[in-house]
Amino acid sequence: MPAAALDPGLLLVLAVMLPATGAVAALALPGRWAGRIAFGLWPLGLAVAVAVAWTVWAAGAPLHYAVGGWAPPLGLMLRADGPSALMLLVAAIVIGAAGLYARADLRPEPGATESRAAVVFWTLLMALWSALNAVALGGDLFNLYVALELLTFSAIPLVCLGGSAKTLQAALRYLVFALVGSVLYLLGTALLYGAYGTLDIVLLSGRAGPEPAAILACALMIAGLAAKTALFPLHLWLPPAHAGAPPAASAVLSGLVVKASFFLIVRLWFDVMPGLSTAAAANLIGALGAGAILAGSVMALRQARLKLMIAYSTVAQIGYLFLMVPLLFGVPQAEIAANAAWSGGWLQLASHALAKAAMFLAAGLIAEAAGHDRIHGLDGVGRAVPVAVLAFTLAGLSLVGLPPSGGFAAKWLLLSAAVATGQWWWAVVMILGGLLAAFYLFPVIGRAYADGTAAFARPRDARSREFVVLALAVAAALLGLSQLYPPGLLRIGLGSGLAGAGVP
Amino acid sequence: MTATLLLAATLALPLALLAALALPRLRRLVPKALALAPLPALVVALAAAPLGLAPLLDAGSAMLLGAVAFLWIAAGACAPMILRGASDAPRLAGWWLLTLAGNLGVFVAADLVSFYLVYAMVSLSAYGLVVHDGTTRARAAGFAYLALGMLGEALLLMGFVLAAAAVPDGSLAIRDAVAALPGSPWRDATLIFLLAGFGLKIGLVPLHVWIPLAHSAAPLPVSVVLSGAVVKAGVIGLLRFLPFDAAMADLGANLGMAFATVGLVTAYYGVLVGITQSNPKTVLAYSTLSQMGLVAAVVGMGLAAGDAGAVTAASLYAVHHVLAKGALFLAVGLAAARRSLLVLGLTAIVGLGLAGLPLTGGMIAKSVIKVPLGDGVIATLAGLASIGTTLLILHFVGRLAAKASGDAPMPLALRSAWIAVAMAALAVPWALAPGDAVAKALTAEAMWQAAWPIGIGAVLALALQRFGHRLPAVPEGDVAASGTALARLMQQGSDATARLEAHLRAWPVAGLSLLALALVLSLALGAR
Amino acid sequence: MTMTVFGLCGAALVGIGLYGLIVQAQPLRRILAFNLLGGGVFLLFGVIARRGAVEGLGSDPVPQAMVITGIVVAFSATALAISLVVRLKETGRGDDEGSA
Repeated sequence: MPAAALDPGLLLVLAVMLPATGAVAALALPGRWAGRIAFGLWPLGLAVAVAVAWTVWAAGAPLHYAVGGWAPPLGLMLRADGPSALMLLVAAIVIGAAGLYARADLRPEPGATESRAAVVFWTLLMALWSALNAVALGGDLFNLYVALELLTFSAIPLVCLGGSAKTLQAALRYLVFALVGSVLYLLGTALLYGAYGTLDIVLLSGRAGPEPAAILACALMIAGLAAKTALFPLHLWLPPAHAGAPPAASAVLSGLVVKASFFLIVRLWFDVMPGLSTAAAANLIGALGAGAILAGSVMALRQARLKLMIAYSTVAQIGYLFLMVPLLFGVPQAEIAANAAWSGGWLQLASHALAKAAMFLAAGLIAEAAGHDRIHGLDGVGRAVPVAVLAFTLAGLSLVGLPPSGGFAAKWLLLSAAVATGQWWWAVVMILGGLLAAFYLFPVIGRAYADGTAAFARPRDARSREFVVLALAVAAALLGLSQLYPPGLLRIGLGSGLAGAGVP
Repeated sequence: MTATLLLAATLALPLALLAALALPRLRRLVPKALALAPLPALVVALAAAPLGLAPLLDAGSAMLLGAVAFLWIAAGACAPMILRGASDAPRLAGWWLLTLAGNLGVFVAADLVSFYLVYAMVSLSAYGLVVHDGTTRARAAGFAYLALGMLGEALLLMGFVLAAAAVPDGSLAIRDAVAALPGSPWRDATLIFLLAGFGLKIGLVPLHVWIPLAHSAAPLPVSVVLSGAVVKAGVIGLLRFLPFDAAMADLGANLGMAFATVGLVTAYYGVLVGITQSNPKTVLAYSTLSQMGLVAAVVGMGLAAGDAGAVTAASLYAVHHVLAKGALFLAVGLAAARRSLLVLGLTAIVGLGLAGLPLTGGMIAKSVIKVPLGDGVIATLAGLASIGTTLLILHFVGRLAAKASGDAPMPLALRSAWIAVAMAALAVPWALAPGDAVAKALTAEAMWQAAWPIGIGAVLALALQRFGHRLPAVPEGDVAASGTALARLMQQGSDATARLEAHLRAWPVAGLSLLALALVLSLALGAR
Repeated sequence: MTMTVFGLCGAALVGIGLYGLIVQAQPLRRILAFNLLGGGVFLLFGVIARRGAVEGLGSDPVPQAMVITGIVVAFSATALAISLVVRLKETGRGDDEGSA
């Protein structure tokens, strides 16, 4: 097909295939190439993400590409709407930052050869990136299942990169629980296919109604995805896994991987089955989100170790995402994209990805300087790694929700939606969550800036890593400014936009 | 546009100095330049009318901004004296400049979001100043400060979201939000959140505990700005966000009266607890509570009556408090160096100005708030509060005299700052008084009205001197002790959450939860 | 008739698998339970493909393709899990905090 060379839809194929090719090449070539391949590919991947976002935004309509020229229901469709473009961009940025950080972290001692952990890290990072992009672009529920499994399989070895018994246990626990979640998802797709004969998102949204099969399938799939997102009370695997992984891996896991399954929940809830939601179901999801915010924050407050505290903070911050569901209940599908809760939810996803990645990376430097991550022993660590502590502070301001951070803008939008729909109880939970976040983050920040008697060593290659972390944190702290401009990108795709997207 | 830029310039210098801290060459100079940082703000405040800033910076805000900037200059000149060495200088300068920028920002921020930002800056950065000494006491005070400060932020965020939700075209300008408030479907909720949030900042009972703790634990120049300037962020918040609008008169009556009552309770409460304290700084902190309670009474009555005149009156009263309280705290520093009758005498005069001593600036301040207070019970009680103020100030002067000892030279910076601020406290309100206020205040009748409560207060002070040892010893921060009961309750809640969470994290429970979620969700989706 | 039997078998496998996953504490048993669960789901896919055939679509190839893909995914998952168990055995279980 010579004409296809000009098809902007090919960008979507590139977004998935570039990192995938990199991962395969890294396996095939000698170990020292893995890092170089990753670094060669990253600018290209970022450019593809920017190009996709630009094309979608300029056209004001979703991009789509039928793989192999086969249209659904038989073929597979790749689609990029506004939220997909956002996911691509955030993934490229966080993966780049994690990679830059890891380059110094995993660099072999002079004269030594590339360690096994480094090769594994680079290969899996590229595989993970490919899988993330596939989740963001997939248009077919089974295809998304495969992408999600690839994501899990590349995420899990990252957890136990250190190889200690503790991290291996955490990884195994993560894997088995995630597998239960995926089987439930797969069961749901089987039911949907049996009932409607297709798994294409757009075709399904036209065919599926509130029949028992669709309801059961949807419940199974959402529950399975919630397990992978670590929605309270299904978060058992997250704290040990995210706290035990190396900093660059934790950044990607907490910042991106849990967001992928959440992304699919939104796809299912608002794209596939817009008419399915009931008040009871929406409130159930919202209640679990609220439980996550409160329990996650309280648990974060109780942690004595920095990385566990940050991991529990992820449990809490995930809760905010799920408040989108009750806040958008009853909004007609054509108006959802213009609703404050819609932009607020996506902004929360993006700003938490940036802020949490920055925080895990900063915590990595802090722990390296201190030789441990016990919060009580961090008095004065700011003198050893001042820029990392500054980055931690900025990321913290976004999590607490102070302007002009993305976290503030997200919370403002979600609160406005809660006020406008009269669901003030979600507002109370969000406000309490911000308060608790301040209580677990500020003491750490205060200690880092205080005087201390402990001796801290400046980590190797700290300078370059500190500035990567700072850049990420500054991005999170300024993300709220994006709200000064009409958030056009996120509105592309839902309702009228999606209906005409590449369906013959 | 030019006006907006001029206003922005008030923040530019503090923030530029803050950025200079990042450059190793300039880092050592910044702590010495703290007194310069508020200069643009002072210029803007003084020249607001000729510069054409009136639409953005009303007269009340301009005079309060000027006083606050002036006090920051005086305190900035004294700030280097608390440094222990080169290591803590950049940190002090950093927190100082952030707090300063936030404090100036609350007067010039034009929209809800930037106001929230600068308000958070002034509230939260001051934590770094409170704990500067690094003592256990400072840390405990810092914790109380931060905890209640965050609570205030949370209340205000809710208030702002509610206020913005009522603006029809989605504008975030404070002006539009205030204009839309009387017709808002969430009017009462908005007002309650705003009053509670700003009321916490000015230390209204029972959310006052952090003021005595923080203002007495902080190093001296920090106490000066905390009690004099930072607290005014709450005052300006009340003045800028409440609709003093005749349209509100019947609607806001109950809330306004309630707020005024809380203010009066605070005014008397501050005196009653203050006279049991022995640390002069703590006594002054309680006096701040008491004075801010009076401001709250003025604001509440203004809200109830829909009287825009309350804004100017409360601003002028607050201006006097900025300067007088600043001078009193600075005097604590002087008295620590040397016992000087001049210092004690002038301090007593400036302090009694808070009670309305004739011919002081305080007398003018006191007389202008009489109008919005009206002539009901609240007005009478507010007038009688002068007796308490006299008592508290004389108690403070007594404590200061008792503590004053030694024969060290008084630091030049401190001495000059004290003289300048004390003189300003005596003179400035006369210059700012509106219309015929000066003429009215200079009548014999007015003099007598101002003088007799002070006489009674002085008699009571003598009695206190005599029998004061029989008063119960109230711990600093009074009900903060009952905070431990609350803390225990919260600890129990936290423990219960942890037990529940550990249970939920057990594998079989989590597995069952997953299946239960699938089941319940399908039932919920089926319930239509 | 056969279809119903297959469907019931699939459901039974899913049930046994879920039960095993929840109550078994040993990692290897949990992995086996996961495989039973997966087998049950694949059987259901087979039933669905068959049903498509009954309705005159010929034999619906899509579910079969899915089952094949699913088996590959389940195989990879099992391999990954087993390798983790082996590594864990080699490393020696440090503390027994929260059996995996």
